[in-house]
Amino acid sequence: MSPAFAPGALQDLERACPSGARPGTEVDTIDGVAPSFLAYPKDTREVARVLKTASSYNLPVVVRGAGTKQDWGTPPERVGLVVDLSQMTGVVEHVSDDLVVRARAGTPLASLAATLAGVRQRLPVDEVVAGSTIGGVVATGISGPLRYGHGAVRDLLLGLTVVRADGTVARAGSKVVKNVAGYDLPKLFAGSYGTLGVMTELTFKLRPLPDQRLFVSASYPSPAEMAPHLAELLRSQAVPAAIEIDRAEPDAAVQVCALVEGRPRPAEVRADLLSRVMRDATVSLEAPPWWGSLPGPVTFKLTGAISAVPSLIGQARNCCAAAGLPARLWGSAGTGVLYLGLPSGTDPEQLASILDQLRTAASEAQGHATVLRAPAKSKATLDIWGPVPGLDLMRRVKQRFDPGRLLSPGRFVGGI
Amino acid sequence: MATKQHDGRPLPTYVETAAEDGHLRSLLNDCVHCGFCLPACPTYQLWGEEADSPRGRIQIVGQLVAGAPVHGAAAEHLDRCLSCLACVSACPSGVRYGEIIEEARAKVERANARPLPKRLGREAIFALFPYPRRLRAARLLLKAAESTGLRKLLHYHWLSSHLPAILMATERLAPPVTPLERLPPRVPARGPSRGAVGLLVGCVQSVFFSHVNAATARVLAAEGFDVIVAKGQGCCGALSLHAGRMDEAARLARKTIDVFRAEGVKLVVANAAGCGSAMKEYGRFFAGDPPYTEPAAWLAERTRDLSELLAEAGPRAERHPVPMRVAFHDACHLAHAQGIRSQPRELLGQIPGLELCEVGDDTCCGSAGVYNIVEPDAAAELGRRKAAAVRATGAEVVVSTNPGCLMQIGAWLGSAGCALPTMHVAELLDLSIRGGEAPRRPLTRPST
Amino acid sequence: MSPSSPVAAAVKALGSVLRSGALLTDPVELATYECDGLTNFRARPAVAVLATTAEEVAATVQTCARFGTPFVARGSGTGLSGGSVPRSDGVLLVTAKMRSVLSVRPEDQRAIVEPGVTNLAVSRAGAPHGLFYAPDPSSQQVCSVGGNVAENSGGAHCLKYGFTTNHVTGLEVVTPEGETVELGGMAPDTPGYDLVGAFVGSEGTLGVATKVTLRLLPMPEAVQTMLAAFADVDSAGRAVSAIVAAGLVPAAIEMMDALAISAVEAAVRCEYPAGAGAVLIVELDGPRAEVEEGIAEVRRVCEEEGAFEIRFAADNTERAAIWRGRKAAFAAMGRLSPSYIVQDGVVPRSSLGDVLHEIGALSEEAGIRVANVFHAGDGNLHPLVLFDDQVLGEEERAEELSEAILGLCIARGGSVTGEHGVGLHKLAAMEKMFSPEDLETMLLLRSAFDPEGICNPGKAVPTPRLCGEPPRPCQGSHPLQEAGVAEIF
Ligand SMILES: Cc1cc2nc3c(=O)[nH]c(=O)nc-3n(C[C@H](O)[C@H](O)[C@H](O)COP(=O)(O)OP(=O)(O)OC[C@H]3O[C@@H](n4cnc5c(N)ncnc54)[C@H](O)[C@@H]3O)c2cc1C
Ligand code: SF4
Ligand code: SF4
Repeated sequence: MSPAFAPGALQDLERACPSGARPGTEVDTIDGVAPSFLAYPKDTREVARVLKTASSYNLPVVVRGAGTKQDWGTPPERVGLVVDLSQMTGVVEHVSDDLVVRARAGTPLASLAATLAGVRQRLPVDEVVAGSTIGGVVATGISGPLRYGHGAVRDLLLGLTVVRADGTVARAGSKVVKNVAGYDLPKLFAGSYGTLGVMTELTFKLRPLPDQRLFVSASYPSPAEMAPHLAELLRSQAVPAAIEIDRAEPDAAVQVCALVEGRPRPAEVRADLLSRVMRDATVSLEAPPWWGSLPGPVTFKLTGAISAVPSLIGQARNCCAAAGLPARLWGSAGTGVLYLGLPSGTDPEQLASILDQLRTAASEAQGHATVLRAPAKSKATLDIWGPVPGLDLMRRVKQRFDPGRLLSPGRFVGGI
Repeated sequence: MATKQHDGRPLPTYVETAAEDGHLRSLLNDCVHCGFCLPACPTYQLWGEEADSPRGRIQIVGQLVAGAPVHGAAAEHLDRCLSCLACVSACPSGVRYGEIIEEARAKVERANARPLPKRLGREAIFALFPYPRRLRAARLLLKAAESTGLRKLLHYHWLSSHLPAILMATERLAPPVTPLERLPPRVPARGPSRGAVGLLVGCVQSVFFSHVNAATARVLAAEGFDVIVAKGQGCCGALSLHAGRMDEAARLARKTIDVFRAEGVKLVVANAAGCGSAMKEYGRFFAGDPPYTEPAAWLAERTRDLSELLAEAGPRAERHPVPMRVAFHDACHLAHAQGIRSQPRELLGQIPGLELCEVGDDTCCGSAGVYNIVEPDAAAELGRRKAAAVRATGAEVVVSTNPGCLMQIGAWLGSAGCALPTMHVAELLDLSIRGGEAPRRPLTRPST
Repeated sequence: MSPSSPVAAAVKALGSVLRSGALLTDPVELATYECDGLTNFRARPAVAVLATTAEEVAATVQTCARFGTPFVARGSGTGLSGGSVPRSDGVLLVTAKMRSVLSVRPEDQRAIVEPGVTNLAVSRAGAPHGLFYAPDPSSQQVCSVGGNVAENSGGAHCLKYGFTTNHVTGLEVVTPEGETVELGGMAPDTPGYDLVGAFVGSEGTLGVATKVTLRLLPMPEAVQTMLAAFADVDSAGRAVSAIVAAGLVPAAIEMMDALAISAVEAAVRCEYPAGAGAVLIVELDGPRAEVEEGIAEVRRVCEEEGAFEIRFAADNTERAAIWRGRKAAFAAMGRLSPSYIVQDGVVPRSSLGDVLHEIGALSEEAGIRVANVFHAGDGNLHPLVLFDDQVLGEEERAEELSEAILGLCIARGGSVTGEHGVGLHKLAAMEKMFSPEDLETMLLLRSAFDPEGICNPGKAVPTPRLCGEPPRPCQGSHPLQEAGVAEIF
């Protein structure tokens, strides 16, 4: 426990959070930074009291759901308090006729899915990282295959309850699928890495669970050979719910898999159409083993205009092959979001050089290259986020929401 | 009540009253300001400014009713309206914009709100156009100019850049002078008669488009109608009415009503969209003018556009093939003012071998009565756009139902280096019924 | 505007930075910009700028920032919440003339357009490539993309496709301080906060959009449009719930009640089944096989819920005929009543039937007719409260009724606006829907973008009266207090 923090903080935190507060230990480090305290609030009220207390002691706060993505982004500069939301789970409200659910932020995505499946509904968000909570998924804005057909998690988020740095509780959005009253703060919070407030409850719109899912897979020797098929897939009237690619190693064949969801008979017709578009494709009830799994342990994220995906794949290959690195590339060809996984032991300088090249490639593709996760020691030398257009405005947003810089300081773009 | 205005001029017989403003106000009230008419409006398409949109003009008229002065910007934006009534077709609220702009124009006219040169130009136009006899004289002058090469000269000479825009526009648009085809007072039906119909020969039409009138009479006769070319008829008053010159319009309309009443015809056929639409409005126009209320309504009820009548009656004469690609342009006063769209297409469809191309863009061509003379710049741009749209169809001939449109489109196609023949629907039908050769050269003079 | 007024200096400066002709000062012309589609809020701007380029927009905003002059952006002026009502002490920045489609990139499924381009023009630009722009407000032929972005506009097909916010991937924005920034772009997930997401729906209070990148989608292979007539709104409402519960995701489910039907019949003669107490328009689109099975299911559900007549559109003409009535509905109300208020509230779908009943009861009680036309699939109600402004007191009663309807929406956990925005009209309702803390949190965002409070001040989010030190993000207070700035009729 860092002596920098005033005595009495723990007692006050315990008082604020009867559900649990304790001093931090080595095992609680957040991306290499040890916290002074941890709190385990069970509801929004407790979160509010905890944050109020933390702000009175000037304790920088990092939120933790299941802790599966604490090594994403830049490491926080200081961690006074970890607000652990593992106690805040479960569905608060679910009117199935409305296809809307409100759940606590610490709810694991998987358990929400299980609940919803009971009424043949789902939140069409992939569990890209096993064990993720809904709060963590929203905070990082991570998306998987279903994004192509259903939008990113930001597109499904209707409303939220958030606790600001000073403990003020605010709601934004609503629990109806259509609402333009006031600013769309849910969009602002999605992907904000816990730097604007602590989300405690989230409301999503749901979709019916499809009767049938068919995976249509094909493999192409090179991105160039894949390109025309991909273009045709995008134009196709089969309306796939996902168009994914995977390349296990720099020179491996490019696997493409499109997902069709719907009623059984029409789904077959559509899958058939896709398999013709993809040529020599196989149709299966099972997803390929690589489906929806984030490569790693070091992960770079690459984005670009959709038509640039084949060239991005090619460029990623070139820089990894040149470095002699076994790198796996995976992502959504349909949305232009790719992830490159590199071995854990990769030399930081090598990582920096690859990142540089990828950044050039991504910028040509009108997208960006960022570091999703990397060992703490490499991160210190990497430019995690790269150029950020509109950074000045973002700083001002941060300044208004968190003038004391107490929420995950330093974790986000431009040191926000 | 005073009989003179403060400047000594006699008070117009068409007197503005509080009741009229009340009427105008209730017309304005129908507008819910939704803006659905904006994209349909040619001047909004050109400039994208609210004051040059139907919604904006309605708002301006509202300002006038509320007491704003009737000059400057207000008059200018109202003048720029083509009265094409595309906004009426687009309006889901049923706003009767035609009436609004008519009454507003009367206000502008009465207020003498325009700058002097503009006013003089308009006076000149209205001293000429509605009068076939004066037009005939003008026609002779034009003919002389043509034969002496003077007309050609006008185009090259520095004169063209120094003469007033109004004059140049008039010259540019004036059709080549074709021989006058005079019509007998009565053209008998071929075969058993389907009834007697009066034919409005019009003012400009009778002088510069006598061939269209002749074709109309032949087609009607071939289709079994006795055609009565009522003697003594002149301008129907449409041009004046649409320009807000109410007294003049009333005078001309009364005469037209009298002439056709005297003939006692079953129906009166107009082959110029603007005339037909004005005549159909007579009833409303004279609603408050008791001696003419009933006769005006009588004529309004009996007025038919040529295509309307023929489509309703069904074909009788045999059609011979006219193998041509034809671009059909909707005249605003047919499509928007009279809601007649399918009928001319139906007639064209009856002609074997004819391939109908839609122009796609149904925005006004910029002709709009005397608009292309009084607002030459806007009209020119609209003409250019229309010519481009017509060209894009790849048609060999342009067909419409209004002589003004044909002059305008013909002139701008010529300017674009794509001089296509222009024909009235009546001419094309006439051609098909007679089994003649299709024209392969422009019927209007290609402009340079 | 007197020569000594604060805005006069700004107007003078604008004259020197803008091309001649860009500045509108004639009072008659200015008055044509005094309101949007909600005509009871009006103000004549001190001056209007008819911008044709992003540079002109930036120059205008910079000048406003320099002089602290409030400015309001305006697209096509079809908004229904008074969002683009000018300030009499400020500049109206009209983007309607910026109407070029800058590029269509079929291979990236994107279009880049200027803000004055109409919604429909985007779909038209995509059409040759087999693409379309999904959000389709009923005003699509005239409303501008800039306005859509500001209002996060929706449309009949948003049930399946989402709203404007789900289809904007990039923006070029002139911030209230006059800086031009690029947010988002062709690719998703630009690093940093999702400021595109925050800007969409901000009702012109966070800056002026000068370029918009939109997502285009492949046109569906098949579209099936069905019209089902019911004896009453109850059974139609139940059918809506049943369709959704059956796991179907139609592109659109729209409902009209008897009064609304009679208005559109008068306006566009759409010939809906006689004697219908309510009609549903259900449209399915997508892969042909999927649509065919789906529409059969919809039919079954509707019949089960008591539809007495069901029509299918055999072709595009018939489809257009079915839609014609729906699309003309608002404006057609002019045929039924000299004046009306378009309300825009949202309730959870499952309570549609109950809420419609309650609206009926309120309407009867007040002796004011209410026609219902709405996006049933989204639970987005558009009660049209009809009144005659010539009848003394009727307008007030209509206003009260319309407020009461919003009360019903709030009570059901719904929203006070589903697509028309808050503007000036819903400021009071915002205070009922949100707590002072909620509103204050929204204002944090606003003050980050617009510290001086000059960008469309006094709209979208009311300034709450909190104890303590509230942020001071906007200059204009509640419009009711700004007498002379925006008159309220
Ligand atoms: C008959 C009718 C039917 C309608 N139907 C629907 C419907 O189905 N769905 C729906 O959602 N809406 C509907 N509307 C409302 C309206 O059309 C939409 O809100 C539309 O998006 C407004 O666009 P506009 O260009 O007219 O914007 P305006 O009314 O001019 O402005 C609206 C707001 O946008 C801001 N704004 C405009 N341009 C910019 C810019 N470039 N940058 C930043 N801010 C800007 C303005 O400041 C203002 O706050 C309807 C309106 C009418 C009249
Ligand atoms: S008549 Fe034509 S030009 Fe005049 S306002 Fe209507 S659409 Fe525009
Ligand atoms: S004239 Fe008709 S379409 Fe135009 S704004 Fe008024 S009501 Fe709307």
